[in-house]
Amino acid sequence: MNVIEIKNLTKTYGSSRGIEDVSFSVEEGEIFGFIGPNGAGKSTTLRTMLSIIYPTSGSVTIFGKDSVKDAPEIKKEIGYLPSEVFYYDNMRVKDLLKYSASFYKKDCRKRIAEMAEIMDLDLNKKIDDLSYGNRKKVGIVQGLLHEPKLIILDEPTGGLDPLMQQKFFELLKEENRKGATILFSSHILSEVQKMCDRVAIIKEGRIIAVEKISTLKENNHKKIRIETKIPVDAAIFEFTGVTNVEQDENTISFLYSGDINVIMQKLAGIELANLWVEEPDLEEIFMHYYEKEE
Amino acid sequence: MNMFIHELKSARKSILIWSLALVGITVLFLSIFPSISRDADEFKRLIEGYPEGVLKAVGLQINTITSFLGFYSYMFLYVMLCGAIQAMNLGAGIVAKETSGKTAEFLLTKPVTRLEILAAKWRAVLVSLVITNIVFVAAASFMANFVAVEGVDVTVFLLISASNFIIQLVFAALGIFLAVVLKRIRSVLTLSLSTIMVFFVLSVFGSIVGEEGIRYVTPFKYFDYAYIAEHSAYEARFLVLGLVLVVMMLSASFWLFSKKDIHSI
Repeated sequence: MNVIEIKNLTKTYGSSRGIEDVSFSVEEGEIFGFIGPNGAGKSTTLRTMLSIIYPTSGSVTIFGKDSVKDAPEIKKEIGYLPSEVFYYDNMRVKDLLKYSASFYKKDCRKRIAEMAEIMDLDLNKKIDDLSYGNRKKVGIVQGLLHEPKLIILDEPTGGLDPLMQQKFFELLKEENRKGATILFSSHILSEVQKMCDRVAIIKEGRIIAVEKISTLKENNHKKIRIETKIPVDAAIFEFTGVTNVEQDENTISFLYSGDINVIMQKLAGIELANLWVEEPDLEEIFMHYYEKEE
Repeated sequence: MNMFIHELKSARKSILIWSLALVGITVLFLSIFPSISRDADEFKRLIEGYPEGVLKAVGLQINTITSFLGFYSYMFLYVMLCGAIQAMNLGAGIVAKETSGKTAEFLLTKPVTRLEILAAKWRAVLVSLVITNIVFVAAASFMANFVAVEGVDVTVFLLISASNFIIQLVFAALGIFLAVVLKRIRSVLTLSLSTIMVFFVLSVFGSIVGEEGIRYVTPFKYFDYAYIAEHSAYEARFLVLGLVLVVMMLSASFWLFSKKDIHSI
């Protein structure tokens, strides 16, 4: 079953670009990544899903219900963590979380205490006095305290130190194990790579690919680097399947996707000093996606 | 209910401050009254020397200024001014904190409709204003008992006092409306102070030139205290005008707020 179905979603703001014809769906129980550089339209998409802003055209269906018409119903089961956490000033963490919990017909006290313990968050502090990272923790607890079925995170890790990030990811994985679906937006690939099953890649307001992380990594991409004994013209590598060619004196590196025999035959004709064949990391594949589009 | 209680709680400090301000104005003015009423003739002679324009501008009426209700309606101008600022600040502030992006995402991602959000806020504004007015009327009554020598017509006294609340409703609704319509409000206080100054200057200007039409433009002129004293009632058309404006501005606010894109920052 699809928890989220986004169909041809377009949101334009006057003259500036919003998002255009965005479609993808997220299955129940998935951890779905949503990646793209800043300003590509990630937040716009998420905020439209939550009816903070309304679509220009297209639709979002969550739990089989319309995201605009049935917004209050849907939101009972959504936990949201915004990228920048501002909360009513002059409130204690405890009071804010209590207020947040009062919107759901559940007793969340135990869960608040548990999560505060895990995230090492002082409930008696005033929100005004908290550091950026600690505010983020308030956001995390606030988003998860009602054990939502769908967790939507907009750049969630900014401001968290690596140890906290680790704890946070464990918390998310635990929720996922209990059945929660997670939509995770980020521009940091390594965290998406660590967490997600599938990703949608967005660029300049349009989805350019929806792929399994494993496919992205397989995709037969190899990162090949050679060192030659005599200078070689890199132009000989200009054929189908080769991208990102870089030359630095006697060293040439490139990404290759295709029949491995073809490239091996090519290499066999060159006097090599050294050869490296590596799995590229997601970052490089991602850049490759972007360049391909241009 | 939780939103209403939350909003009311966060308005606590402002209710206290504005109540104290209104009580302060009342106590300050009414404590001068005994000396004016004691030397009534001398005081009248003194202000007769003032240029007519000045008297009109500050709303001084020589015939009535030395009676308690005459003096009370004179000082009421400052109560209204203060009350209007409170109301507009409250109305604009309570909505602007959701639409100016700082905290919008908190309520908007909760399982409530936009209409429920705004309704809770309006109820909180209403209750805050009622509390302030109860405190103010209590203080004014207390002072009246002290300083009024002759008997005070209670109906007229209460009608004058309650007119503040009605004017506040208009300005609170205007504040909410502007907060919903305007894309971004840098400072709620600047917005309400400048709006109210415009209406206030208009009403002072109207008093000086004696233009009747201005009464339809500025809420500060809805209530003519000489009329209230004479008829023990408000002028129906201005009361209706005020209430219609409140209903219209609120309806428009609810409609626009439920359709509006709330942008971050």
